Amino acid sequence: MNRRDWIKRTAAAGLALTATRWQQSMAEAASVSDHFIRLADIPLNKATSLGASFADFHIMQTDSESLFAREQMVQGVVAESAMGCSVRVLVDGAWGFAASDDRSEESLVQLAESAVAIARAQGGWRRRPVEIETLPAFNGRWEQPIAVDPFAVALEEKIGRLLAINQAAIGSGATFCSSHLSCVRERKWLANTFGSHIEQSRVRVFPSASVTVTDPKKSEFATRASFSPPRGAGYEYFRDLDSTGEARLAVEQAREKMVAPSVGAGKLDLVIAPSNLWLTIHETVGHPTELDRAMGFEANYAGTSFCTPDKLDTLRYGSEHVTIGADRTALNGLSTIAYDDDGVETAGREFAIIDRGVFRNFQMALGQAAWIGRTSSNGCAYADSFEAFPIQRMPNISLKPGPDPSVTVQDLIAGVEDGIYIEGNNSWSIDQQRYNFQFTGQVFHKIHHGKLVGMYRDVAYQGNSVDFWNACDGLGGEKTYELGGAFNCGKGQPGQAAPVSHGAVPARFRQINVLNTNDEAGKKTVAINGNCNGGKLGQWG
Amino acid sequence: MPVGITPDESKVLCQRVLGLVQADSAEVRVAVAADQHLRSANNDITSNSIANRIAIHLTVSYGQRSASISTNQTSDAALREAVGKVQALARLVPEDPEHLPPVEPADYAEPIMWSEPTAAATPADTIGWMRPAIEQARAARVESAAYLIRSVGATALANSSGLFVHQPHTSVGFSMTARTLTGNGSGWASTQVTHAHNLDLTRIAEQAIRKAIDSRNPTERPAGRTTVILESAAVRDLLALLVENLDRRSFDEGRSFLNSLLPNETSLKEPATDRRDPVGLRLFGDRATLICDPLYPEAPCGTHDGGLPLVRTPWIEGGVLKAMHVGRFWALKKGMKAQPSPGNIIMPGDGLTLEELIRRVEDGVLITRLWYLRMVQPQTLLHTGLTRDGTFAIVHGQLAGPVKNFRFNESPATVLKNMVASGIGQRVLGGENAMPMHVPPLMVKDFNLSSVSDAS
Repeated sequence: MNRRDWIKRTAAAGLALTATRWQQSMAEAASVSDHFIRLADIPLNKATSLGASFADFHIMQTDSESLFAREQMVQGVVAESAMGCSVRVLVDGAWGFAASDDRSEESLVQLAESAVAIARAQGGWRRRPVEIETLPAFNGRWEQPIAVDPFAVALEEKIGRLLAINQAAIGSGATFCSSHLSCVRERKWLANTFGSHIEQSRVRVFPSASVTVTDPKKSEFATRASFSPPRGAGYEYFRDLDSTGEARLAVEQAREKMVAPSVGAGKLDLVIAPSNLWLTIHETVGHPTELDRAMGFEANYAGTSFCTPDKLDTLRYGSEHVTIGADRTALNGLSTIAYDDDGVETAGREFAIIDRGVFRNFQMALGQAAWIGRTSSNGCAYADSFEAFPIQRMPNISLKPGPDPSVTVQDLIAGVEDGIYIEGNNSWSIDQQRYNFQFTGQVFHKIHHGKLVGMYRDVAYQGNSVDFWNACDGLGGEKTYELGGAFNCGKGQPGQAAPVSHGAVPARFRQINVLNTNDEAGKKTVAINGNCNGGKLGQWG
Repeated sequence: MPVGITPDESKVLCQRVLGLVQADSAEVRVAVAADQHLRSANNDITSNSIANRIAIHLTVSYGQRSASISTNQTSDAALREAVGKVQALARLVPEDPEHLPPVEPADYAEPIMWSEPTAAATPADTIGWMRPAIEQARAARVESAAYLIRSVGATALANSSGLFVHQPHTSVGFSMTARTLTGNGSGWASTQVTHAHNLDLTRIAEQAIRKAIDSRNPTERPAGRTTVILESAAVRDLLALLVENLDRRSFDEGRSFLNSLLPNETSLKEPATDRRDPVGLRLFGDRATLICDPLYPEAPCGTHDGGLPLVRTPWIEGGVLKAMHVGRFWALKKGMKAQPSPGNIIMPGDGLTLEELIRRVEDGVLITRLWYLRMVQPQTLLHTGLTRDGTFAIVHGQLAGPVKNFRFNESPATVLKNMVASGIGQRVLGGENAMPMHVPPLMVKDFNLSSVSDAS
């Protein structure tokens, strides 16, 4: 059965199913909304009666759907739902936290008792009590605006779109192609002893694809992954992408990459597209400016930071071109939400992390602002599941466009004598204090005399975060701004995955250290940084 | 105690789910856990949490069509809803020519992952385990950050072919980072045990504190290819990356690092992918041996993978590749036996102490831990990453002081080619991979330290 026949056969059944398949989740959510204030009173009153100076109560429901297609085969259709609740308490300056998927009234009482008991178990040998600021009470409901609910879209429409991507790639000569779509809905209810009762709902989607071309005789292969990032958006985002067009381009680029000349290692000027730069922002600015990290709270896993509080307002983090802001309000931002998981309102709390090159602020959650002499959190708390203790996580962190709105990526490229234009993110790694990074990409266009003249392969760029941002001497204008991001930024013990967006414009960086990954692997390489000459150089020796 | 922690309870739950299914075939997996997480930083506990959870994952099939669903709701209404939904989904999915019926029942060895004292420990007990380690750090005037997880749970798998297997597990994992007050010395140590009575957190704290103090004021050693000694924590992170890429299908499809290890076949008349077999070839150094052994007492794992029995299996022996992961479909297509992924990795060592290994190095570097390993080049399995929490120069067979951390670019396959000696195996926690591993420190020549990192 071909794709068109299959869609025809399943269309009617799919539409009927769509209306019912998330009914249980919706019914549970409606029930929680109806009774939340009464439910919340149970653990909050219990915790308070047991001596908690602060308590909050969270219910979280996560629905997700994940579809995976390989060539013309659908090999994964997975629907997931999870719902549970937690009680967090502050008792005698110590945190206690208990979570369960049991939301019965009896369980809520037990959770409050357990949370208080394990907070009390720390008593007597703490050096410094946990102190938190008083938060205003909010009674609010917020729902992320989307045009098309992905959970209301017929399954065959989504599968059909994935198979079309794969068909376009295979038809263009790919040896293999896989495509994937993830859709997530998060519903959260929060109440705390400051008097807040908040209900929120948001949706995110992540379409992705990867093509592979192989040359069995040479035992070689090359891949090219799609550039489409996840978004805090409805199905309209995936629907409106030219995914099949990108699949065809990806095959063409993977083929060219396989025979492209290997790059010569050394210092080169780079123009970096938003599809690559968002991840560099994430790693070199996002994580270093998490205040809990800077204060040692993540030292045992994620690490600490070069960016310590004494550098506030003094560190020249980047050149004067560089302004990087943080918010939880951006349209389609994966971190966008009205109230964070501490109950802090996010509107009006947008802030600059780097302002015209100078380091200005950290990301903070409840109880952290006083560490740096400030009065309140800037709304950066997040818990990734009902069983997760809320910790500081990234807001949307984005590079502001340059002042001239007319500047294009071609303008930036025109200012490079010899360099590389990098698109798409791939491998990334940075040290535990965020100094030394190394990134690769999907496509590396060679720049010569201000023009693109073919492609390189085997490219990685390596540097120091502060040196890198200080080497920035050009930015695209606002029309070149694009939103990248990730579904699953990791932090904490136990690990938590957070969705986060990073907007960026194309940016130019001077004399960045470029590695040849073939050399790094110990393979013999004939590398060249002159004109592309037909892709016959640089084969493995 | 969560629902389903006993075999009978999990069997009842599996039967409840399967009993609702009307599809041609079905498989249900149940995972229950009651975990306690204790975190500390700056020598104080920062959070202390307990979480009970259950996850029910159901796959149903109509012929070649299948879909899956997972839920943490166990009421009759919720299960009925889940089954109805996944059946409706499965009917809509196109036929997958690679779909196979559920695994047939088999004999499984009894796992050795359960400890009653670990299961019976209370939150107060775990704070009691951790407290002396933090107090040690306070006494040593270093700042510590630590994480302890006590996990008690079980997994069950049942299917419409009559298979049912239930495997309980307990474990305690602990890791501690100690940092000097000046911020330029850092040490890390970890342990993981099934039986809480085997915990020795004082020893772990001592190791982390000693490394922190010894690594103060590092000097800069030039980057470059050099002989290194990788302690067990570094070895396990690298080997996990190798093992997860030993996949038969990827190789047969020409997109495995193993393809580049075999001779280039440009001169051959026929495409080589179906005729070459890396299994049986000496692809690594002759000291390289990796074994999966689910009943290895120091690092046990479950005795099945998706219903396929896991038994002691050499994956690499004396440098010769002995096994690769072969999925059920690929095995059928290629006329091979399916080979499940390893549940643990044991690497027998040469039995040399760390000091004896160091004595063998004329000029090199001792690396105690790695961080942020990421694939750079899948064609060669080249990975990048960094050293952290204690990196030391070795000169004339002796430690010669702390050095700044390095970024490395290296393939774990090359590491196994270039290993020249090994030490005594131990179980430590991994950076990003939870597979139980019992591995020794390795002495490796020509390790590619690519650049110097200022992180300390």
